[in-house]
Amino acid sequence: MSYRRRLLELAAPLLALLFALLVGGIFLLAIGKDPLQVYLTMFRFNLSRLDSIGSILYKSTPLIFSGLAVAVGFRVGLFNIGVEGQYFIGALLASIVGFSLHGLPVWIHLPLVVLAGMLGGMLWAWLPIVLKLRRGAHEVITTIMMNHIAYALVLFFITSVFLDTEQEMVKGLGSPQVRMPKLLETARMPTMHGFLETLGIELPRHVYLNWFFPLGILLAVALFVMLWRAAYGYELRAVGGNPAAAETAGINTQRTMLSAFLLSGALAGLVGLSDLLGYFGYLDIDFPKGYGFTGIAVALLARNSMLGVILTAILFGFLRRGAEGVQAFEGVPMDTIVILEGVIILSIVVAVQIVNWYVRRQEKLMKRRQVTMERAGGD
Amino acid sequence: MIGGEMLASAIRMTIPILLTALGAIHAERSGIVNIGLEGMMIVGSFWAAFGAYHYGPLAGLLFGIMAGGALALVHAAATVTFRVDHIVSGVALNIIAYGTTRFASLSIFDRATTSPHVQSLPAIDIPVLDRLPLIAPLASNVSPVVILTFALVFLTRWVLSETTFGLRLRAVGENPQAADTLGVNVFAMRYAGVIISGLFAGLAGAYLAVEHTGMYVEGMTQGKGFIALAAMIFGNWGPIGAMGASLLFGLSEALALRQVVEFIPYEFFKMLPYVLTIIVVGGIVQRSRPPAAVGTSYERGE
Repeated sequence: MSYRRRLLELAAPLLALLFALLVGGIFLLAIGKDPLQVYLTMFRFNLSRLDSIGSILYKSTPLIFSGLAVAVGFRVGLFNIGVEGQYFIGALLASIVGFSLHGLPVWIHLPLVVLAGMLGGMLWAWLPIVLKLRRGAHEVITTIMMNHIAYALVLFFITSVFLDTEQEMVKGLGSPQVRMPKLLETARMPTMHGFLETLGIELPRHVYLNWFFPLGILLAVALFVMLWRAAYGYELRAVGGNPAAAETAGINTQRTMLSAFLLSGALAGLVGLSDLLGYFGYLDIDFPKGYGFTGIAVALLARNSMLGVILTAILFGFLRRGAEGVQAFEGVPMDTIVILEGVIILSIVVAVQIVNWYVRRQEKLMKRRQVTMERAGGD
Repeated sequence: MIGGEMLASAIRMTIPILLTALGAIHAERSGIVNIGLEGMMIVGSFWAAFGAYHYGPLAGLLFGIMAGGALALVHAAATVTFRVDHIVSGVALNIIAYGTTRFASLSIFDRATTSPHVQSLPAIDIPVLDRLPLIAPLASNVSPVVILTFALVFLTRWVLSETTFGLRLRAVGENPQAADTLGVNVFAMRYAGVIISGLFAGLAGAYLAVEHTGMYVEGMTQGKGFIALAAMIFGNWGPIGAMGASLLFGLSEALALRQVVEFIPYEFFKMLPYVLTIIVVGGIVQRSRPPAAVGTSYERGE
């Protein structure tokens, strides 16, 4: 039974994924594309080229962190929809530390920058959780407002406080970017090209896969161990499962919620760093948005499993890389991917519900059968 | 600093928040949290621009209302029939709304972020009032939707407190078991509450596109769907209270639009409505009382 149950648990995400592809197919049909052809192109583009593989992993890196941040929140019963604003503030602090501290060796500067990012995320998570615990303000509304404030605040810092006015222009070409100063070399995260070369893998230079990817995997494993082996992880799950019972059992639920939400914020602070330290090297007004919302899809599809997040983040990286491919080769708008993400969130929770009903009905049938069998062979 | 022009602008900014807050009241009074209102505003604004572009402003408003209602139907199916977490469903719908709108905009108008300009409804000068010195800016050149919105406030109040439908709607939000025992169809009432909320949010989005801006622009809702939820909470789940709260938010948005104090940077004015929302939700929530069964799913026993 338990093995069948486990198979059924796997069925829900697969059903959801299939359903999402079906809905995506309807949208493709609506604009006159052949869905099968599009999906086929996507697979071929993604799996037949080394740069695609590297790009998939690069694109999945921020999603691992945002998926973990959301999943940790869900585990303690809180919905952190503020990952978006938290990683913006994280990127802001990381950027400031990254361009302003001169003369440090890389092994001090880089960790400092990463810590600054985590601190920024934590800072932005602090107010919503305090308002939740002290005043009962629902974290969903407050974190969404914090997202909007973060966008405006980061814009203010880029345009009015730290605007880089000493940009070198090629004579007569282009206009200055609206961005903060470039990070120092000691604050940049190295790419994995050198390491992969020692393994005999020649990753193309235009792929920016960097060490945040393995860091994300390590972090997921560490969180998995913490959640299932450490006392704190047990408390966290207990509070998320049934806060009243946890309180009765002597767990300080308020403190657990506070620390878990701050942890979620710290993880969120890492989301933007792969792009910032591994690719752009500066914070500008076009810094990528939306990782926080995709993180919700990543976490839900992984059913809030820390290790599952690695897989689902890579899956979303796959979809995003594939979207680039089908945009280039089939003329399909990239935004199809956003629709898929939304549909996946909705269909996964519905699929889980359906599987649960099915399991309950099976169990009921089994019990009834047992009772009749006992009666039949009773005496 | 705050003259008649500013007040007129504040009222224009109030309308989408107030309409959506009225919708939210219907959903929450029936027991369903609808955090997807933002998305319903988004689809409302885009499809209203589409409708107005092809068939005129009135058709545009209808298109927007229907689009909001259609998305709400999905929310109702997910939360009432499949009993999934209300917040998760709402978040998913917001993402779906954003994605489908971009997709549709790109496919239909060849641009992801804007529609062409569209015609608005003819503006109205309210007789007599538009001659009075102080009120004149408020009463002249008014969109019919503005007047409709204030009428809907009182209509909503009447429906909720005086009609059988309103009584049943509130009953399933307070105690679905008891309502069910008395023969009220809990599922039908909740579907109704959620769909009405979508129609309102769709109209709010349509107003933004057709009446306020004269075109659809990506991101034009700017979190108003969430601010409307705060207005609903601030107004203690009643239409009149929500109107007061929405006016407050409308004023803060009007302030955000015009930089009133020169030495304060523009970005900080932009934050004003959001900061106000946090203050409202954090400061008021303990004194207000939501419907008892809000956010829970109802399952009939056997």
